[in-house]
Amino acid sequence: MRESSEILAEFSFEKEKAIAKSFSQRFQWEMILIGLGQASIWLSLWPLVLNGILDLWMGFLIASLCACFAYLPSHEAQHGNYSRGNPKLRWLDGFVGHISLITLMYSYHILRVTHMKHHAYTNDPVKDPDYLNAHAKSVFHVIKNSSDGSSTDFGKYLEVFSSDKAFVNSFEKAIPIALLYRFILLVLVVIFPLETLLLWWLPAKIGTVYTTVFFSYYPHLGTSTGRYKDTRFWSHWIPRFLNHSMQLHFIHHLHPSIGHYDEPKAIEALKPFLVARKVPGADQIPEHITFNPLIRI
Amino acid sequence: MLIEKFFDHISNWKMAWFGLIFLGSIINAVLQKSSLVGDSPYVSVFAFGAGALIGLVAKIRGAWL
Repeated sequence: MRESSEILAEFSFEKEKAIAKSFSQRFQWEMILIGLGQASIWLSLWPLVLNGILDLWMGFLIASLCACFAYLPSHEAQHGNYSRGNPKLRWLDGFVGHISLITLMYSYHILRVTHMKHHAYTNDPVKDPDYLNAHAKSVFHVIKNSSDGSSTDFGKYLEVFSSDKAFVNSFEKAIPIALLYRFILLVLVVIFPLETLLLWWLPAKIGTVYTTVFFSYYPHLGTSTGRYKDTRFWSHWIPRFLNHSMQLHFIHHLHPSIGHYDEPKAIEALKPFLVARKVPGADQIPEHITFNPLIRI
Repeated sequence: MLIEKFFDHISNWKMAWFGLIFLGSIINAVLQKSSLVGDSPYVSVFAFGAGALIGLVAKIRGAWL
């Protein structure tokens, strides 16, 4: 008991928070560039393909890459990491959040509120909207669930959080946008069937599967509930630069205001705290994260 | 009231409509490119029928996959 108190004093939450805050100041310009950049590239594929300048299959490949880059810039926006509490910059969160998600065909409002609930109730079987992904039997089940849309069927959470006015309001704001996406998709598919399939629908599915596998499944695999227990450090045969460094997702759950590209340095600084707090996998965190691909075969 | 009914209908039958319009259009476009059946006058009927059927089965099952 005494030893535990000493650990808590040395690695207090206040000290941890102060270190984390020092990594939560920088303007996230890279994410804005990626978010708006991939959406612009994706949009430009349509005239290029329809006018025969770019081959449809090449367009499909580029659109799929764009879709894999689409979620994270919106995710930073969901946490207000562009405005960082400045009311004059709040529009930037919404702007990047909405534009970036066009490729994935999702409403920013719905992903923002359900993601906030994921943070608040991580690994709770009833209240965590990502529970089905994180606790799927295998990667195959995650791919199946995210492909057929059952893992992003957020409608049931409207009932779970029916007493939360902010949640319900955001959900209602999302419905017209979600319907607009469906309407545009159905109009486009009648006029340009194969282009709609290969430039939007299929890339959006690929992007959703990629995001679900690496953002929801692997970081929470085998974890339980509790601030220091609900997300883990893991490694994989894929270099972290190809899966948006989701091996480091646990630091995002502890301190969501740390910018994505500042997470490696923040983990290096916070490693003693993470080990002391017994974050799953923390003892395997290498001393240097920056530029480390974190490969494990 | 009318809008509510419309949304209820969309909510209940979205899979069937998606099958008919989206999958039907895709199947139709693929078959039109086929040298075997592309010239047949019934290609579109078959394509949209197949799309609607897939959507209907998904609606009954409650899942696409």
